Amino acid sequence: MKINRIATDILIIGTGSAGLWAGYRASELAPEAQITLVDKGPRDWGGLMTMAGGDFEAVLDPDTVDQWIQDFVYYFDGLCDQKLMEEILTRSRDRLADYERFGCEFFRMEDGKRKFVRQRGLDHVKLYPAQLKGRGGELMVKNLVSQLKQRKVQRLGRIMLTEFLQQDGQVCGALGFDAITGESYRFDARVVIAATGMGGWKTSYGKNTPTGETMQMAWEAGAVLQDMEFARVWNMPRLFGWEGQTVLMPLGARFVNRNGESFMERYSPVLGANTDPHYTTIAMAMEIRAGRGPITFDLSRIKQENLILLRPQNGWQKLNYDKLSALGLGLDLFRDSTEWVPQMTVSYGGMQATAWGETAVPGLLAAGTARATEPGVYAGGFALMSTSVLGHMAGEKAAELLQSLPRVTAECDEERHFASTFAPLGREGLTPKEVLTRIQSVVFPYDVSILKNEQALSRALKELVRIREEDVPAMAAADPHYLLKLIETKAVAFVSEMYVRASLERRETRAGHYREDYPTRNENDLAWLCLKRNGSDTDPEFYRVPVPLDEYRFPVTRYYQDNFNFSE
Amino acid sequence: MIQKIDTDLCVGCGSCVRRCPLDALRLNEDGKAFIAYPDDCMTCYLCERFCPSGAIYVHPFREELPPVFPNVPRELGGGA
Ligand SMILES: Cc1cc2nc3c(=O)[nH]c(=O)nc-3n(C[C@H](O)[C@H](O)[C@H](O)COP(=O)(O)OP(=O)(O)OC[C@H]3O[C@@H](n4cnc5c(N)ncnc54)[C@H](O)[C@@H]3O)c2cc1C
Ligand code: SF4
Ligand code: SF4
Repeated sequence: MKINRIATDILIIGTGSAGLWAGYRASELAPEAQITLVDKGPRDWGGLMTMAGGDFEAVLDPDTVDQWIQDFVYYFDGLCDQKLMEEILTRSRDRLADYERFGCEFFRMEDGKRKFVRQRGLDHVKLYPAQLKGRGGELMVKNLVSQLKQRKVQRLGRIMLTEFLQQDGQVCGALGFDAITGESYRFDARVVIAATGMGGWKTSYGKNTPTGETMQMAWEAGAVLQDMEFARVWNMPRLFGWEGQTVLMPLGARFVNRNGESFMERYSPVLGANTDPHYTTIAMAMEIRAGRGPITFDLSRIKQENLILLRPQNGWQKLNYDKLSALGLGLDLFRDSTEWVPQMTVSYGGMQATAWGETAVPGLLAAGTARATEPGVYAGGFALMSTSVLGHMAGEKAAELLQSLPRVTAECDEERHFASTFAPLGREGLTPKEVLTRIQSVVFPYDVSILKNEQALSRALKELVRIREEDVPAMAAADPHYLLKLIETKAVAFVSEMYVRASLERRETRAGHYREDYPTRNENDLAWLCLKRNGSDTDPEFYRVPVPLDEYRFPVTRYYQDNFNFSE
Repeated sequence: MIQKIDTDLCVGCGSCVRRCPLDALRLNEDGKAFIAYPDDCMTCYLCERFCPSGAIYVHPFREELPPVFPNVPRELGGGA
């Protein structure tokens, strides 16, 4: 078997925001080092950032980092790594300044001042929108990639990595294959950065690529996973994709039920409609369950002057808007009443890592949304900020590790690995899509994804175990394209099972985790739920890491969840 | 979802094939783009937007997914 072999100093897996920033920083600090970026998608495509609006959170004057940390302690219901947040927030203004230096533009008002939009009813946290609504994220990708082109960085696309190479416990490379040609690849590296994004459920809306292969790979290599009980349930139009609600809600948009009632005021008289989608989708689920659906979106209260921030002006968002209006089916978001539904999209679970990206496994760093950071609630602009900062920091750490990590080469039976990776090729069996649909049917129902309860979760777990044992091994791939989808589907099954197991394990309601059978906070549970491999693949070992409040500067005095009352 | 590629308009530049994040499109033996794998299209429009000859049409509706409220009728916001 022919194996393409690439030796490099730093291997960065994933060229989304985090991976591109890691490459940028590492090549700045170690200009002579060989740095290789690899993505399973197109070369340089930029991951989810390609579709992003470009809204960016940053602590700019007169705000202070301390004010923002306190907002997050409250917003995360105490489940906030204050030291990590301090590192992220402190660097946020530098990354925004970098983007401006690279040519990205953020919205300025006529008087030259920056426009901002406060988030989720918090006192300080706010996002800065891109100058033109529509392709802010795409321009970020373009400008970052052109920075990398000036550096000695190798960039490869369409190569999916499927296993880490390890020697004496240290990660020192990865194996993978070309998803078009089917050729095998072996990368030997001194440091590996996993910037591979989240786990997820392929729900369109720009989110069919994050499927979490590296969660399983890292877990198998000995890394710890954290926050698996948190999934992002997003409200989205039933029929199409729409980007920008983090800006719409604070500016006056609201959801109404079949009686025309703006129901969020009932669940939260304090915050009303302007809140986190996690809470909005709980309320939507309750309304629909009670027979008060469908839920529609009402933009009639948006002020004329703010429409410029909302109506897409270029990029995919404008094309999408124009096409929807042209269908003549009453789908003009600004004129017609459109139906929206709550939908689970991606997982917040990820590798446990320090701010610098260090995981429990030497040689393996995690950056961006591949690592665990937020407990299931999401303020607009947070992802582009945190992934740029955390990617930048991991790149810096990788350059530093080149000085100290011993150089090791993995002795492994590559032939055997590739034989098992390629085994599904050409055989008869279930298609990846069939198995994906089965997994989705198990985890999407609202009593598993939104209003969780023990009975429904236990039922889901049983079915997911069956899928892992029977359906996953029975999948077949007609060609390398489908082999990639098959491996993604296997990862979706893994992430789904860990999501359900972790959801069962957290017997309380906090931040982005709502248990209808445990509707209140349990003070003893102010802890991160972590899981580690327990010998066999199937039986994860959960343990709790208490939030070390005695080491932190700010006590937990307020809880965002206390703004809501979901008892019927 | 990706709906059609007009072979007569396609000039075979390969842009859509290179850009599709889900590898849904390929070039055929005549060097024309075709929808090889429609089932994972996420309606991102990258193919259509960068096609120099306007040969591609992506329908704005996203793929239908398994239901969130299997027991609630569709008219009431649930259903499949
Ligand atoms: C439509 C949309 C709009 C958004 N708008 C905003 C916004 O305005 N503001 C904001 O802050 N955030 C926004 N976001 C979120 C934000 O864009 C993402 O969370 C962020 O870009 C994620 O960056 P990342 O690098 O961590 O992960 P990703 O972008 O997911 O990158 C991971 C990369 O790794 C690759 N990969 C994964 N597994 C493998 C493997 N096994 N082998 C090889 N490669 C692999 C993937 O192909 C991908 O390119 C938006 C997201 C979407 C989808
Ligand atoms: S819309 Fe996006 S995912 Fe669909 S075929 Fe075009 S490029 Fe691929
Ligand atoms: S981008 Fe357009 S012209 Fe180029 S190969 Fe694709 S369909 Fe043909």
